[in-house]
Amino acid sequence: MKGGWLKIYAIGYLLFLYAPIILLPIFAFNDATIIAFPLKGFTTQWFSELATIPALHSAVLNSLLIAVTTAVVSTVLGVCAARAAARYQFPGKKGIMGAIMLPLVLPEIIVAVSLLVVLLQLGLSLGAWTVILGHVLICTPFSIAILNSAFQNLDMSMEEASYDLGETPWSTFRLITLPLVMPGIISSLLIGFTISLDEFIIAFFLTGAEPTLPVYLWSQLRFPQKIPVVMALGTILVLLSIILLTMAEYFRRRGIARAGGKDTGGFL
Amino acid sequence: MKLRQYLRSDAARGYLLVSPTALYALLLLAVPLAAIFAFSFWTQDYLTIDKTWTLKNYREALSEPLYRELMFRSVRISAAVTLATVLLAFPIAYFVSFHVPKERKSLWIFLITIPFWTSYLIRVFLWKVILGYNGVLNTTLQGVGIIDEPLTFILYNANAVVITLAHAFAPFAILPIFVALEKIDRSLLEASLDLGESKVTTFFRVTLPLAMPGVIAAVLIVFIPTIGDYVTPRLVGGPNGLMIANMIQTQFLKLNNAPMGATLAVLAMLIVTAISLVFVGLNRKFLRGQK
Amino acid sequence: MTQPIIELRDVQKHYGEYHALRGITADIGQGEFFSLLGPSGCGKTTLLRTIAGFEGVTSGAVLIDGKDMAGVPANLRPTNMVFQSYAIFPHLTVAENVGYGLRRRTDLNRQAKEVLVGEALEMVGLDGFGKRAAHALSGGQRQRVALARALILKPKVLLLDEPLSALDKKMRDQMQVELIKLQRHVGITFILVTHDQEEALVMSDRIAVMFDGEIAQMDDPEVLYRRPNSRRVADFIGVMNFLPASVLSESGDRIEIEVNGLGRVEIGTDQAPLAGANGGTSVGFRPETLTILYEGQTSNDHIAQGVVEEVVYYGDMTYYDVRLDGAETPVRISMRNLFGRPVLEIGTRARIAWNPGALVLFR
Repeated sequence: MKGGWLKIYAIGYLLFLYAPIILLPIFAFNDATIIAFPLKGFTTQWFSELATIPALHSAVLNSLLIAVTTAVVSTVLGVCAARAAARYQFPGKKGIMGAIMLPLVLPEIIVAVSLLVVLLQLGLSLGAWTVILGHVLICTPFSIAILNSAFQNLDMSMEEASYDLGETPWSTFRLITLPLVMPGIISSLLIGFTISLDEFIIAFFLTGAEPTLPVYLWSQLRFPQKIPVVMALGTILVLLSIILLTMAEYFRRRGIARAGGKDTGGFL
Repeated sequence: MKLRQYLRSDAARGYLLVSPTALYALLLLAVPLAAIFAFSFWTQDYLTIDKTWTLKNYREALSEPLYRELMFRSVRISAAVTLATVLLAFPIAYFVSFHVPKERKSLWIFLITIPFWTSYLIRVFLWKVILGYNGVLNTTLQGVGIIDEPLTFILYNANAVVITLAHAFAPFAILPIFVALEKIDRSLLEASLDLGESKVTTFFRVTLPLAMPGVIAAVLIVFIPTIGDYVTPRLVGGPNGLMIANMIQTQFLKLNNAPMGATLAVLAMLIVTAISLVFVGLNRKFLRGQK
Repeated sequence: MTQPIIELRDVQKHYGEYHALRGITADIGQGEFFSLLGPSGCGKTTLLRTIAGFEGVTSGAVLIDGKDMAGVPANLRPTNMVFQSYAIFPHLTVAENVGYGLRRRTDLNRQAKEVLVGEALEMVGLDGFGKRAAHALSGGQRQRVALARALILKPKVLLLDEPLSALDKKMRDQMQVELIKLQRHVGITFILVTHDQEEALVMSDRIAVMFDGEIAQMDDPEVLYRRPNSRRVADFIGVMNFLPASVLSESGDRIEIEVNGLGRVEIGTDQAPLAGANGGTSVGFRPETLTILYEGQTSNDHIAQGVVEEVVYYGDMTYYDVRLDGAETPVRISMRNLFGRPVLEIGTRARIAWNPGALVLFR
């Protein structure tokens, strides 16, 4: 049976997809400094060690600051663009939207080096804010992709009905538009946060003296004795990502259901 | 009066609303890309930039065997990654679209996307753990008794890069193909069966041609970022698995030769654009028959 | 007519090169049930939206209750609208939807607003539905909510944009009757946009038939049906037979014509509207104005002869396509299937009774 073979293949493929994530907690709790089988025993030592590394803590704080700012700024920019694209017709719309979405298909290293060149030419010093500049650039297209479906599922006659019943454009935005696209906004915030928190290349080039979490991780990967701690940290990060994503997916679906639309599946 | 009327028009409101985002993209994308382009025609001597326009960098990049090898290898590896990813992804997309009940499809897509959103660095590093000399794969295979000596062709070379990237970009390939398959009107397949085709010939004469735009989108979405990937070649590629992005990084951060780095970046972009245009052209061809 | 509630004065609306409205002039009376009828793209919805204030006019004026509405946005106009999609706010309850427009009424306290919402729901037959979530409603219920939400503000004019098109046939027939009753009950002017000629005929006091951004004819349903002023209007509303004809003479208010298949006959000038006909002079008449006479049946009307070429049986009615002697194309005749009356077979020769008063001359 065709479907049967496909199903076996599908499950095998999922195993391939999840292989690294399944291994992560196994080694995080393994009582050995070498990351290899056979396993030596159970320990939570690597997790408790996480609490004793100040450099890690400042990297986490730095990354959180960058991720939150990036999520907020790119969502605001995303709302503007998605709303403009869904609601108004203007000459050159396709070209402008194409340019805004371009970072989605540009190799990240090119975004990183081109920004670096300009910042250095202008004599600006690198820091958290330069990483934010770069992250907003690559997160905005994702925000727009998510918010587009929210704004496009929004029946224009909803807003017209509100004007017709006496509300002004601003109060209509507050009472009708915002509540209906809110799930999309929340899911855009979460996605932006997740991407920024995980992004390495741009941060690697644009971060100053204060590394972000991925840049810190990168520096640790060179030292074999630090690997178990990285595994413990990775386990926590994966768990966090899954929670955030499940939340984002929940809000995305609720948004589609609210606006009375049909689920087309997926974030991308 | 005319101006006031224009300001209240759809077009003006659209421009006003899109302008913050568009300006951001202009300042932080268009300007830097232009700067990179300019840099590629300049030269650097230690810390001073010579702004005389010259093609010296391009001559060097195209004649120096190391650079040429890196560029060819990047294209080769990316092509292999793309081929592997799309071929592996198609059956999954097909399975979810045609064999998974409607209400479970979102769940499957969600399951497929989750690994993609977890720390990229750590995922790549774990592939090193899986594929290594004493890695998970080798110890398992030895333990089961399939092999006696650890396999060495799977780490610190191009193979490792292909496997790791095929994993990293899986959802990018699955989703566009899935969307294209979902759009196929199921009655077309019934019509084909009704007209005497078998299930297999129907797949090749109806399903596959209609899914082609999705396949081409998948090819582009996988190919473009992989050619510029830095982390994977660095972690699992070994010296013979390094790609163009690693050289760009070296030029900028280690050799302090930003113009050469810029030249390589421009060349990488040109390669990406050229190959993309071929596929966009193919896509046009496939889209012509459809809406 | 008393003071019109809506006056449209040479309203034009252009989108670049495209002219959606080409000079609409009309008065709509207080308490009238007025319909804008036409095929899609004729401008009827655009006209409705210019009255509501969602579209500005390129030139001309829209007056509501004697006041020029130029520059007055939709939220400040004394009109309310029932949208084609109903536009029920999915994140609010039924009561919150109905009471949406009352938010700005600071003169009312909470209880007063609740009473108003309750009354509005009762008026549309949805009492007790207030706490329900809006997205859980059926199509017919959504429409009632949309009506209650618009009427609660006691607008001077209620605008309805194809309100019945999303409903199935049975529900549509039921809502037609309910809308008429509701309109009589509240006494507010209703303006209905529809492409369904039957709906317009059933519900309206007056109908404006629109083609290509212009009003082709504006009359009450009976006049529109019996005396369409052009072949195009005649074609759009119901079924009309056309036979080529020629004018022999005109004197005073009488016109003598020769019709293929019907022969010479005299009609009144009121049966010959001025509007030009495309495709030469012809005479039109409705299928039900002709009667097929059965064996031995007599009639005081004119009698024509013909052969039955096609029979379409509808249960209560039978449609016959009959070729009259001397005519090139068959005409359609509808007969009620009264008890004891057999359905004729194809090829039967029949005598057909007709009256000159039913003819309309297009030239």
